[in-house]
Amino acid sequence: MKKALILASLLLVSSLAVFGQGYDAQPADALVFPFGVAGTPYENAELGVRGGTIHEASIEDPRGWNNHTAHETSTTQYTNLMHRGLLNLDHISGAVVIDFAKSYDISDDGLVLTFHLRENIYWSDGVLITADDVLFTYNDVILNEDVDCNSRDGQILPDGTFPVCEKVDDYTVTFTLSTIYRPILNSLAFNLMPKHKLAQFVHKLNPDVPVGTFNETWTLDTPLDELVGNGPYIVTGYQVNVSVTMERNPYYYGYDNAGTQLPYFDKFVSNIVTNQDVSMLKFRNGEIDVYGMRAEDIPILLPESTGKGFSVMITDLATYGTTWILVNQDIGLAEGTDTEKREIYRTVEFREALAHLLDKDTMVQNVLNGLGTYQWTGVSLPSPFYAGRDYYGGPITEADAVTFEYDPALAASKLDALGVVDADGDGWRDLPSGAPLEITINANDNTTRIAYCLIIQDDFRAAGLNANFQVIDFNTLVGDLFAATGDIILLGLTGGDEPNSGKNVYTSCGSLHAYRYSACDDPDEVDLRIDELMDLGANTFDLDAAFGYYKEYQQLLAYQLGYIYLCQPTFLYAHYDFVGNANLSSPTSTPGGNNGLLLELCFDKTL
Amino acid sequence: MLTYILRRTLYMIPLLLVVSLISFSLIKLMPGDYLTTARLNPQITAETLQQQIERFGLDRSFIVQYAYWLKNVLTGDFGTSFDTRMPVFRTLFFGGRLMWTIILASTTLVLTWLIAIPIGIYSATHQYKPSDHVVTFFGFLGLSIPNFFFALVLLWMLVVIFRVGDHGLGVGGLLDARFFDAPMSLAKFGNYLWHMWPLWLVIGTGGMAGLIRLMRGSLLDTLSLPYVQTARSKGLKERVVVYKHAVRNAINPLVTVLGLSLPTLVGGSIITAIVLNIPTVGRAYFAALQQQDEPVILGGLLFFSLFLLIGNLVADFLLAWVDPRIRYN
Repeated sequence: MKKALILASLLLVSSLAVFGQGYDAQPADALVFPFGVAGTPYENAELGVRGGTIHEASIEDPRGWNNHTAHETSTTQYTNLMHRGLLNLDHISGAVVIDFAKSYDISDDGLVLTFHLRENIYWSDGVLITADDVLFTYNDVILNEDVDCNSRDGQILPDGTFPVCEKVDDYTVTFTLSTIYRPILNSLAFNLMPKHKLAQFVHKLNPDVPVGTFNETWTLDTPLDELVGNGPYIVTGYQVNVSVTMERNPYYYGYDNAGTQLPYFDKFVSNIVTNQDVSMLKFRNGEIDVYGMRAEDIPILLPESTGKGFSVMITDLATYGTTWILVNQDIGLAEGTDTEKREIYRTVEFREALAHLLDKDTMVQNVLNGLGTYQWTGVSLPSPFYAGRDYYGGPITEADAVTFEYDPALAASKLDALGVVDADGDGWRDLPSGAPLEITINANDNTTRIAYCLIIQDDFRAAGLNANFQVIDFNTLVGDLFAATGDIILLGLTGGDEPNSGKNVYTSCGSLHAYRYSACDDPDEVDLRIDELMDLGANTFDLDAAFGYYKEYQQLLAYQLGYIYLCQPTFLYAHYDFVGNANLSSPTSTPGGNNGLLLELCFDKTL
Repeated sequence: MLTYILRRTLYMIPLLLVVSLISFSLIKLMPGDYLTTARLNPQITAETLQQQIERFGLDRSFIVQYAYWLKNVLTGDFGTSFDTRMPVFRTLFFGGRLMWTIILASTTLVLTWLIAIPIGIYSATHQYKPSDHVVTFFGFLGLSIPNFFFALVLLWMLVVIFRVGDHGLGVGGLLDARFFDAPMSLAKFGNYLWHMWPLWLVIGTGGMAGLIRLMRGSLLDTLSLPYVQTARSKGLKERVVVYKHAVRNAINPLVTVLGLSLPTLVGGSIITAIVLNIPTVGRAYFAALQQQDEPVILGGLLFFSLFLLIGNLVADFLLAWVDPRIRYN
């Protein structure tokens, strides 16, 4: 009997260790969302009730549960729900907003950022969250070189230093910068990690563990009751290749304005479905409630939607990211070959001619089933800094966009003017010297990219350019990109709201300045101005001023035609109608999306 | 016999070494590496990439990397996955993958054999009759439909034609979501079976067709042998001629196939497992290939090679067991 009592007590303690009891009443420092309040991003959000389970499908398994060593969205999809940071992206507008910080101040000189933390808020195991957790996450994890953490790069200031994070008191921390750098706000949205659980695995804090132990902490085989977070959900179940189950964190500090603690759904179940056709079947079968559909799913889902009680969201909002072709302006530079081809590739009029041969309308109609938008700059269309707007966050007008309309006649005249004409009568245009001009277009084995390339190849050939398209292995293609050994390459990049995150791509010494790496040693005026504008945009907290700088940089980039942009698919989503607030889905957030932002606002309308 | 087993087992060691060297070379010949995708991330600096290259030892020469790997393997350390940060075999087998692989493969194997052998015998003994043509037609159909396509069509039929969702039934995966965290019960067991039958059907039809053809061909060969004619001329019943004399000899080639199917027990049906969402070792290995997670690829190749060699050995023993004419010295 005694043993049984001890065992029962131990079980009780251990279960308490997983999840605490939660708050007795709404904490004074709760984060309250203004549902239905006009003038806020939440004015169309409905108040919900707690309970129920929401199901979605993910394409890959997570690789671990450690937020700061994760390199892929298949992991951060869950860790972003388990952890929240001082700042976050707004659920609906996508702007940087407060989260675990209840407020923050920027000193007059712009160099000291002071964050005031929410008081009396707990980790999911019931331990108080304090400034020590912020310092641990920043100084001992993110800035710790023993930790394989990608987000460290985002913390680097323009002069190569890192912000200095210091504790003022238990609920106040400061970040001191060596120079004004607004994008640091995005980087300071890093997720917080519990010091009391993880400090023991960091070598600099616990020399008894080997260097790098933290990298192997909170892996997939870690008992799930070890996981602790401050976000809306905590992982409570994982069946390899099948599903991840998350349950509500009783200590989450988000509340709606009716005093109901968020998230509304008790459970979030993510089915791991590698094949997207199967995902769609599962959606049609009612097994998953929300679905990031593809354009080709529309003819099937739309007719079924009314009878089955789901909605198909077809929007004109572009998704994040860019797809482009790159004309390698350093072709043959390393080997000292292709001098004449390099010379013509470096001529902006030649690249303009190629840009006028890109039939974006056909690409959108034939490849994206009519559900795509044209892309003119390197900044993603949903970004408030996108140059097609008149002001920061304004509507997209494209009034000032530097565009190159599909115009084969104009392209031909530009090529003629450059002397790129058919000199030997074989039907193909030659270099000005009369030497043959053969163009190779490469892309990896991706259905959309191949379709784009075939359209481009046809138009180039119709204009007399001897272009040949070859599919090559993705890794070989990336190798060509970095070694500057390719000719014309079609690829894509991920994108975000802050243009400075693309600094690596667009500044003359960036490691992805793949259209002309030699610009680092030999920058022209445009390169230098872009470098300058990138810094100017970052060195101000005035968003309107930053927008002005970034707009100029995007226009220069468009004139420069280093990367020549193509199209971007529009945002599509499907959800069952019983999921309240799922209709607020956007490229920024969806209930089942990578950042999971909207998930905590969704609820079951049938309850 | 014991000496033979010992000798064959010892032969495996140099063979596995050669396999490891060839595998290592092939991995290194593949373009790119685990960090290729990271190189395309605008937010990762060249310095960070260099740190990661050094952390994973990708900056060392081929020989040094192989020697380092081999030294660790000889001490029982197969390394840590670049991707999951777990030990290699933990990555491959974690979460019941090995168990589900063996359950899936062994049940499919048993079902396939139980159905294919009698059909093969029937087909051989009814050569060129309409029933033989029907069986042969379905055999070829099963053989020629790609498994992934068959799996998709099957799921589509369940969802769209039979509307199983209206009855609260899911498709693909091991279980319906409502059973994920439920304790084992009859209903849960039944749900496991509901999710297993499409797998048996898809994987089984592919393997079954081959077996039917093999059994049919082997039995037809045997039935034309003089000793069968002798048996018939002695007035033995056809059933005895076929089952007691012919089938016992005709089954020899199939026994070899049985032994060789051992490696597929752990590594086969990757694409079907992906489409039907089943956790298997093959899927973990496939994911490692996609990510160029070198330690897991190497560990997986060695593991599959070992099973192939053991499968060969088992095939030889089974052959000796069923055929008294074969003896190993």
